[in-house]
Amino acid sequence: MTLRPERLALEGGGRVLFLRNPASPFVSFHGSLPAGVAAERPGEEGVSEFLSRLLLSGTESRNARQISEALEGHGATLEFHVAEDLLVFRGRTTRRAAGRALGIAADCLAHPILPAKEVERVRAEVLTDLGRERDSTRERADRELMGLVFPGRHPYGRDPKGDEEAVKSIEPRPLLEFHARCYGREGLILALAGDVDGAFVGSTVARALDALVVGPPPDSAPPPGPARPATAFVDLPHKSQADIAIGRQAIPRRHPDFYALDLANLLFGMIGIYGRLGQSVREDKGLAYYSLSRLRALRSGGSVSIIAGVNPGGLEAAMAAISAEIDRVRSEPFTEDEIETGRLNRIGGLAVNLERNAEVAAALHGIEFHELGLDYLERYPGIVKGLSDEAIRTAAERYIRKEDASLVVVGPIGGRTFAL
Amino acid sequence: MELLGNGLNVVLRPLPGVPQVSVWTVYRVGSRNEVPGMTGSTHWVEHMLFKGGGKLGKGDLDRLISRVGGKYNGFTDKDWTMYYETVPAEHLETALFVESERMRNAAFNPKEFDAERSVVISEREGSENQPEFLVEEELWGTAFHVHPYHWLPIGYKQDLARMTRDEVYAWYRKWYAPNNAFLVLVGGFDPDRAAALVHTYFDPLRPEATPPAPRFEEPPQMGERAAEIRRPGEVDHFEVGWKIPGWSHADTPRIVMLTGVLGGWRGFGLAGSGGWVPRANRLYRGLVEARLVSDVRAGFEMRLDPALLTVAATLVPGVRHQEVERRLDEIVGKLREAAPTEREMERARELVRAWDRYEADGVTSQAFMIGQLEVLGSRESFPEFLDRALAVTPEEVRGAAATYLVDRARTAVRARSEAPA
Repeated sequence: MTLRPERLALEGGGRVLFLRNPASPFVSFHGSLPAGVAAERPGEEGVSEFLSRLLLSGTESRNARQISEALEGHGATLEFHVAEDLLVFRGRTTRRAAGRALGIAADCLAHPILPAKEVERVRAEVLTDLGRERDSTRERADRELMGLVFPGRHPYGRDPKGDEEAVKSIEPRPLLEFHARCYGREGLILALAGDVDGAFVGSTVARALDALVVGPPPDSAPPPGPARPATAFVDLPHKSQADIAIGRQAIPRRHPDFYALDLANLLFGMIGIYGRLGQSVREDKGLAYYSLSRLRALRSGGSVSIIAGVNPGGLEAAMAAISAEIDRVRSEPFTEDEIETGRLNRIGGLAVNLERNAEVAAALHGIEFHELGLDYLERYPGIVKGLSDEAIRTAAERYIRKEDASLVVVGPIGGRTFAL
Repeated sequence: MELLGNGLNVVLRPLPGVPQVSVWTVYRVGSRNEVPGMTGSTHWVEHMLFKGGGKLGKGDLDRLISRVGGKYNGFTDKDWTMYYETVPAEHLETALFVESERMRNAAFNPKEFDAERSVVISEREGSENQPEFLVEEELWGTAFHVHPYHWLPIGYKQDLARMTRDEVYAWYRKWYAPNNAFLVLVGGFDPDRAAALVHTYFDPLRPEATPPAPRFEEPPQMGERAAEIRRPGEVDHFEVGWKIPGWSHADTPRIVMLTGVLGGWRGFGLAGSGGWVPRANRLYRGLVEARLVSDVRAGFEMRLDPALLTVAATLVPGVRHQEVERRLDEIVGKLREAAPTEREMERARELVRAWDRYEADGVTSQAFMIGQLEVLGSRESFPEFLDRALAVTPEEVRGAAATYLVDRARTAVRARSEAPA
């Protein structure tokens, strides 16, 4: 399988990337409009998520049942999700049904009608999810942390669902206004993988997307403002274990340090059983089942964070172990051997992590969204090989720090407080 | 399928030109084989098999696979335990070396074992934080009085706190042998070379005496069972399970279609439905569209022994369990009384056909499906199984509902959230 996708610019706006994978004879698609949380204006908090959940609820030409019957009657799946920068739509279909499935997706994006009954269903669904999130140590810790790392109601720090009061009062009008402003096809990116080729995309896929309405994309999220380190401790006495979340702002995806930091983060808290963090907290000390780090590199900013699920009796020890590992990034920088393992992992992983159509489609989408170039997958091994050991160590020191990190602990902690 | 002299079965599925290979070792042991007091021992063995032994030092497995860009993991289920590596095709030998070493030579270092105790308990405690896990545990614990499906593979915390290294090591030695396992290779390899490598690495491994098959048989359920969980929280949950036969039963194709009509079909294996929610089905329309629950899922596990067809739901705030159960009873009752429409059947068939393709996406997913089917003894007959499912008539779906979705075979768990004290 070649690693170089083809691109088609659609008349009327929008771009399609595609890559043929003869080993998997069906089509995975992964598309987006820039209609995520970042597109919300003040007073619209929660609107992007609410609207996304209504997109399968009926259009001017099909009601909700006709949509689901048309898709499932051909074995196709279609789902919509809101993320920080984007509204994402994705699914799977046979090649034979792809025109129909993508046509329905385009119709849902272009002409939603928001039936009152469905608005109330979605309201109940979002309120249920907010309740579930408040009761989940891991989700709540993560949500609280992002609010501290991206303060001032920045789109990257907000819960896409909005808060309970906002959800209770959302009306169709702001949903329709948001739709009219943000769902124009000029910001469309659609990636396809599997049983696809140029003729198919140029005819069937392009025709299916005709339904999309013409319009420019909204503005991207502004860069996040500075964040002061902060703490939050939430006692959920009925839980068995607590979740620790530690994090700070890092860099957007197009930042020159991205590849070095990606590799540093891999070694620090991801590779194998969670890198150095997992080795210390899980393997050596037996303090947690998961203890890992994550790099989120978005369009206008990003974060590095650590999460660990820990028995309440082991919180201080886990905190000390995590703190020591952060310190060790400076006192015992990654060795040549560690770094070489990381490089080989990323290069070998290119094949392993693109074994499924959905993985390929998601990767192609990321390539286009971040403007990495059609030759990106071919260039990637060279990029990784070209990273100097020093650049990786420097990125680790620069971004994996505790001095300006925020800390959240959620679980059965009573009135205890913690520090790194 | 090739059988080695030591009893190891080998399944090779070469896919010329595919740049990855997935290597799975499947052991015919799961929580189904455990006994009270030792629950979770199979899962604990799984943890210890990542910690070296034989020619593998601590951390070697991780390093060997990571350095080639591979991914790896292990899963302990009720009927089986599986380990896998998916690596670039040229590194097949590395994966075979790893799997052969841990089949008989895991170290079970006492210090490592003690450190792992808290990791295994932490895994369980992380699950306990999720109300859905507590509901699941209560459901199987209530539905099965005698059979080891009574407990989940993670085991009970009390057993995990007490189990000794020697007990778990003995469990490993008893079940982890070539004659109780099979190997699955899927991906871009030359079959002759792969077979030669398999012989090189696995022929030296000696078999064990075959352990006796479990002798537990669940007595017939004599009436509806129910359990309640009251716990601080924000959201109420509900799950119901009806007893259904084991996978090899002739009615299983009908149960596939029954599940599809009831709640939509989401496949058998690893392909996962992601965030996709089937909506053109009776449960979604009767419960979600009616704003009684925010989500509902119907499914059944591929099991050696009689198990459960389950429906799980999260209640919308303010809705009472009785309302959900009353509506569910109506939905199920209608399916018992009248056959589904041909349009419903055709949708269910299309989803089953489509998921068969989706589950063949990628070497990892294919190998997992082969492993699962081989445990159940139906790998080679699976295409015919699918044909039988697709040929099921509407009346046969009604018949399956009337046979299995009955109150006397039903177990319900109601999880009610209460304000924190």
